Amino acid sequence: MSDERPGGGDPAEAPRACHGRAPDVFVPGGWVPMREHGEDEPVDFAIVGTGAGGGTLACKLAEAGFSVVAFDAGAYWRPLEDFASDEMEQQKLYWTDDRLCDGELPLKLGANNSGKAVGGSTVHFAMVSLRFRPDWFKSRSRLGYGADWPIDWREMWRYYAEVERALQISGPVTYPWGPKRPRYPRRPHELNAAAQVLAAGAEALGIGWSSTPLATLSSPHGKAPPCVYRGFCVTGCSTNAKQSVLNTWLPRALAAGAEIRDLAMVGRVETDRRGLATGVHYCREGRWRFQRALNVVVAGYAIETPRLLLNSASGLFPDGLANSSGLVGRNLMVQLNQAVWGRMDREVRSYKGPPSLALTEHWNYTDEGKDFHGGYCYMSQGPLPIVWARTLSGRGLWGEALMREMADYNHSVGLKMVGECLPDERNRVTLADETDRYGLRIPRITYGFGDNEKRMIRHALDFMGRALEAAGARGVWEQDDDTCHLNGTARMGEDPATSVVNADCRSWDVPNLWICDGSVFPTVGGVNPSLTIQAVACRTGDRIAALARRGEL
Amino acid sequence: MTMALLPLTALDAVRPPPGGVPAGVARDPLGAGRRRVRNGLLAGLGGVAAAAALAWVLRPGPSRAAGTDDGAPDDGGSTVRAGRRLNRAAALLGASVLADSAVEHYRGSFHNPAMITPLLASGATIAASLHGSLDRRPRAHRFRDATYAAAALTGIAGTAFHLCNVTRRPGGLSWLNLFYGAPIGAPAAIGLAGLLGFAAERVRHGPDGPPSVAGLPAPQVLTVLSAAGILGTVAETALLHFRGAYHNPAMYLPVTIPPAAAAVLLRTLWHDGPGPRRAARLAMRATAGLGLLGTGFHAFGVHRNMGGWGNWRQNILNGPPLPAPPSYTALAFAGLAALALRDEVAGSGREQGDGR
Repeated sequence: MSDERPGGGDPAEAPRACHGRAPDVFVPGGWVPMREHGEDEPVDFAIVGTGAGGGTLACKLAEAGFSVVAFDAGAYWRPLEDFASDEMEQQKLYWTDDRLCDGELPLKLGANNSGKAVGGSTVHFAMVSLRFRPDWFKSRSRLGYGADWPIDWREMWRYYAEVERALQISGPVTYPWGPKRPRYPRRPHELNAAAQVLAAGAEALGIGWSSTPLATLSSPHGKAPPCVYRGFCVTGCSTNAKQSVLNTWLPRALAAGAEIRDLAMVGRVETDRRGLATGVHYCREGRWRFQRALNVVVAGYAIETPRLLLNSASGLFPDGLANSSGLVGRNLMVQLNQAVWGRMDREVRSYKGPPSLALTEHWNYTDEGKDFHGGYCYMSQGPLPIVWARTLSGRGLWGEALMREMADYNHSVGLKMVGECLPDERNRVTLADETDRYGLRIPRITYGFGDNEKRMIRHALDFMGRALEAAGARGVWEQDDDTCHLNGTARMGEDPATSVVNADCRSWDVPNLWICDGSVFPTVGGVNPSLTIQAVACRTGDRIAALARRGEL
Repeated sequence: MTMALLPLTALDAVRPPPGGVPAGVARDPLGAGRRRVRNGLLAGLGGVAAAAALAWVLRPGPSRAAGTDDGAPDDGGSTVRAGRRLNRAAALLGASVLADSAVEHYRGSFHNPAMITPLLASGATIAASLHGSLDRRPRAHRFRDATYAAAALTGIAGTAFHLCNVTRRPGGLSWLNLFYGAPIGAPAAIGLAGLLGFAAERVRHGPDGPPSVAGLPAPQVLTVLSAAGILGTVAETALLHFRGAYHNPAMYLPVTIPPAAAAVLLRTLWHDGPGPRRAARLAMRATAGLGLLGTGFHAFGVHRNMGGWGNWRQNILNGPPLPAPPSYTALAFAGLAALALRDEVAGSGREQGDGR
């Protein structure tokens, strides 16, 4: 690009949100005005991260009248002009900075568990927008495993509705599982062939299925057109039909006076001798800066959040911020993402449309016939070619054998689970001795499955395999090595000794430090976490406003 | 009237056959699919052309039109005027069906050869109706009768086809399948065009005395037929605008004004008189106008899809159907024709009474 004006260069190299304006995500080359804040002037809230947690909270706080500056290490993209139908190019949306992964199951990080962009991983998420089963908010006392949330499900039900309205979720007219919920703002999308296979399999096995509630429009909304079923959803939607944080909460946040700083990597939360946060150190345009703030919100997701807290250790907090419980970085929970695949005689072309148009939550809401705790859902799949080639090569296929399998791409069909992992303190994020290009210690991620996860995987693979065969697939095989999502390294709770934050996402140790992302989850449930993260953020925004009114900030 | 979109081709290809679990059926290579589309379009155009040619060949010659077999006046008399009005309403409804089914069945790649049928039937209906609207003779025409009967049968068969398409999908008769399966209400439009035309023939070809259809008084039958057609169209509009989540408040217009108008029209059956008829005429004119306005709104809706009108080749298929709303106009014209016929029957009835 040859644009001479500020913000006109490569958005991955030079910040766009500066000089009083931010990119207009709905107009190629467009801008919207942005309020700016001085660095020496303490803002009400400095928010680290603009994804499902931080971006949503930035909007809520700005609309409540607080001054807000939100930082993101990633670029500020305009989907209409910056996104290509190309899996390799779109890897620019993933967080691929150096990390060390070890343990029994070294995690694969990138595509389906992290994002590095303004809007966070919602820019490339699969848009699956599911509510928790109400019992999961009290899974310890009601179901006998995991930990209880300090929030009542009925309150969460209201915040789920708020998020579903904000994202104009397209969902079934009536949802088959769980207590009554308001009608989804938009109608469901048409099923693609892969989803019809899921439906046929579920009907053959006598369980319920549904079109998936998705954060992509089925009819026009504002400046966003309805989905065109292009199918590149998980590499970034180039039409704005996807309702990501980038094109929903953040335009609202900007309109309400929030400032967003892109390509701004926060490396440390500063605290004073009283034990209060005073602002954040961040690196932008090759220079370390300091933004003063009355409150700091950490919303970097379940790896970067504990990393930042641990990297912010001080004399007063030698083990890292908010870590008197010793739980910062512990109880990391991924979700099980195992799959079965097979071949249909007819063409399926599963990559058409959003990848997960149908699902079943049967095993989330049914407790009989399980030899494990927790639940899982499974969804139809639509892997893009490179992901599919990689999946096939995971079976040991290479060269001509891989080519032959790839030639069957249009006939391939699969079912993939999102399964609940139990919290385990041995699964954790710590700091490695190596440092990254900012000079910050990189995270070490240690992970392994317990027996419960292994039993759930066996159950799910058996059941999904039967469903796929019942739908007419042949040569069914199992992919047992994938995981997705990250949660739970700064859990919320009612007791400072066993949790990092309280129900309001407020740190027990540092009263003006808040954590608002998937890391506060005590348990993850068997559904994709983004809707719950945003609902928690909405609740946090309302609680902060209420506390401020009472003078309790 | 057919506002629902047929399923994407790729989805169609894997729709499970009746019985639920899909069995493996080899898919035709892409080339065959393209050929089918082309053949379908050619057959559709050919059918329309053939029907138009037939209409031309059978057109009433000026001498025959002026001929007075049984002493009818040159303008054919009031019943012929009403019949010709109904012919015109049937022509407009047929045009709406032709354009809509052409677009939607093209979108469905004419994957079933029977999908050509509504193009042929509506094309023939248009031809027959134009023929009828030029024909001042006070008698039915075999070609027109046959065409209208075929259109009515097409409506029945099409409804069965569409119902079958919806119910054999996973989930059966569900919201999802009503939204995205073949639109159940759509084939009724061609059937309705056939019925209107059939009634037109009966009106102009009655025994002496008040015109009747199947032994019932024609004005009342046509009033009910028009109102029922409007209400059926409202039902389909309501379903498909619900699918669009009524995202634009204007989407409520066709589910409020036409049903009210149909009620006003039906009310004249119980509370007849100049006042109620004036109100009904006004209501029908409003409905007719709304049908035309609807196409404008739908054009705006096309613009709201990705790429707008610059991407018309996709968005005319994906967006709201442009030819659908004028079916309200056609049915309102039929309602107006029914009202006019009632006026005339009442007038001639009085004359006859005076004469005796």
